[in-house]
Amino acid sequence: MVLGVLIAFGEMLSPGTYTNVQITWLHLPPAPGPFPNGFSLVMGTLVDPISSLMLVVVTVVGFLVMLYSIGYMHSDRGLPRYYAEMSLFLAAMTGLVLANNLLEFFLFWELVGVCSYFLIGFYYEKPSAASAAKEAFLVTRIGDVLFLLGIFLYFSTYATAGPDGGWAANGFVFAHNSVPFLPLPGANTTTLTIAGLLILGGAAGKSAQFPLHVWLPDAMEGPTTVSALIHAATMVAAGVYLLAVASVFLGFTPTDQLAIVAVGGFTAFFAATMAVVHPDIKRVIAYSTISQLGYMVLAIGAGFAMVGLYHLFTHAFFKALLFLAAGSVIHAVGTQDLFRMGGLKKHMRLTAAAFAIGGLALAGIPPFAGFWSKDDILASVYSQLGTHPLYWPFFVLAFSAVFLTAYYIFRAWFLAFSGDGPRDPTLPAAHEGPWVMQVPLVVLSAFAVVAGLFVFVPGFQHLLVQGTVLGGIPPTYPATDLALSSISVALGLGGIGLAWTLWGNGRVFSLAETSPVQPLRRLLLNRYYFKAGYDAIGLRAVYPFARATDFVDRFVIDGTVRGLERMFGAGSDRLRSIQSGLVSDYAAYVVAGLLALFVLLLIVGPYLLGRFGGG
Amino acid sequence: MTELALTGFLGLSAALVGIGIFGILTRRNFILLLISVEIAMNAAILNFVYFAAFPSGTHGLSGQAITVVLIGFAATEVAVGLAIVLALNRLKGTINVARATELKL
Repeated sequence: MVLGVLIAFGEMLSPGTYTNVQITWLHLPPAPGPFPNGFSLVMGTLVDPISSLMLVVVTVVGFLVMLYSIGYMHSDRGLPRYYAEMSLFLAAMTGLVLANNLLEFFLFWELVGVCSYFLIGFYYEKPSAASAAKEAFLVTRIGDVLFLLGIFLYFSTYATAGPDGGWAANGFVFAHNSVPFLPLPGANTTTLTIAGLLILGGAAGKSAQFPLHVWLPDAMEGPTTVSALIHAATMVAAGVYLLAVASVFLGFTPTDQLAIVAVGGFTAFFAATMAVVHPDIKRVIAYSTISQLGYMVLAIGAGFAMVGLYHLFTHAFFKALLFLAAGSVIHAVGTQDLFRMGGLKKHMRLTAAAFAIGGLALAGIPPFAGFWSKDDILASVYSQLGTHPLYWPFFVLAFSAVFLTAYYIFRAWFLAFSGDGPRDPTLPAAHEGPWVMQVPLVVLSAFAVVAGLFVFVPGFQHLLVQGTVLGGIPPTYPATDLALSSISVALGLGGIGLAWTLWGNGRVFSLAETSPVQPLRRLLLNRYYFKAGYDAIGLRAVYPFARATDFVDRFVIDGTVRGLERMFGAGSDRLRSIQSGLVSDYAAYVVAGLLALFVLLLIVGPYLLGRFGGG
Repeated sequence: MTELALTGFLGLSAALVGIGIFGILTRRNFILLLISVEIAMNAAILNFVYFAAFPSGTHGLSGQAITVVLIGFAATEVAVGLAIVLALNRLKGTINVARATELKL
């Protein structure tokens, strides 16, 4: 952690520095084919403005979550497994952030994916956890395949572009001798658009963007610490990081940008609506994560990669804070159902305060962290509205999501913490966790308050600007639009106000059964039937296909192999029986062979010679 | 000697081979088996003698020489064969080859 922060400070002091250390793993000499100038596989680390920012997030949040785990997980079985998987995850995530080429990036990308799978399924004896782990793995796998295809497309498109024999010969590194290789002009725009869309698909899988968002809420089956570290602060941010890296180093076409804006803006709103009704404290936060990731994707799509990463940076802190606070609550009362909690602020003052700070940061209330970064995103997208008319609807969606965000997070706060006491009297008496759980809350709260102000530190701002220069985007930091900010803050406050009216002070707002919005509520509770739909697709289409391929594999391919084996087996069994061990039998075979030779030489041979003519 | 005589001698050889093979296939007694092998082998040796003599004097002594070598071989073979007979007798208490099935896997 210390190292990560130091590197980031170094980067702030001398922005635009690229430190690249690499070894060539494999080098293929020039040969005709798709890579005429040769092909290198390289393993290396690249520290640049983007990765130093991510490095801070990963190491600081990782350290705090590990500390918190000591308290949260103390009574769990399988602790060695837990810490081993968490450590593997942190190592893989650090590797991903520092990777200097796409293949290495993909390697670590898969590693964090598999760690996520392990940790979601940490309570593997619970069927829901096991199936959630599988779901997460399979859904992200769809994204991974798209990502890999995108990598291939970029490789083949840019193979010979660039200095020193081209990109392929240099191991596809992002930057070489402090000079970024890409984006390079001259490539086929259509190909690049498709490659960009494939990269977007990969990012959508990892960052749970629409329509691959279904796995993230279910991933909450894992321990809360895992949700905080992997499914809020770091791994899901890897998709956003990928988009940022791709936009800076590879470059997106305008069509790609529109697609990214569309996915991000729509997801930001779409996920927020689902969070509005959910009764599970962790899932509310999970939907909020999807929604916030949508904001980041939106910013990157609009061309402001560093603004997106800035939001990623602040979001990592306040979202980890929210999760750890929620974990504190779950640890204390043993349930995740908001409607059974209530009045917890009396017994858990620190947690209540931490959750409130996280909520305020999420809702974008100044001066908390979320305000600055979210505001920058909205301002940057607003400044780009002129470039494409289709940006408008997604900007509006994202903007209205601010209201929903403030509403749902404070609905959760009021339900859990305000009122006289728990709605379910059977809950155990709440208490704060041990100090190892409180310290991370305090530290993260501090970050959630001040992380947004970092933007006023000249070095940090330099870091943000420097990163965006590479993509050919003018290094103008989006000017804060005062009117825009006021509207968004007003929306946020409105959301909090609505939450207070409906749920504050232990009130429980229940929608009348006959209410016209009841179907909408059911739609939201059922997550727009996306999961059901995917299950149906899986059952109706994919499962029969899988059965068919299984049948082919089992009976046609295996059948051929086994049939051959059985044929030889039976044949040799038969042959073995003639091996009697009797000398006279063997003599008889010799004689029979001799006779056969005679027949062949004296009768068949001359006949064939006579028939076809000897030569 | 005439062509007719040659045919007769070759017929004798063929008969000896036939008798030898018949013996090899039907006998179960190891000693009789060895005798049958010798009979069949003598047919081959006889052939060398005929063809060394027909037509006379043109082939030198190679046929006769090979004959002598082959008789030596036959003697060696019988010596080995009789050694096997003894070993078999000691092992099984019989020299019936139908009882010696150790060649089977």
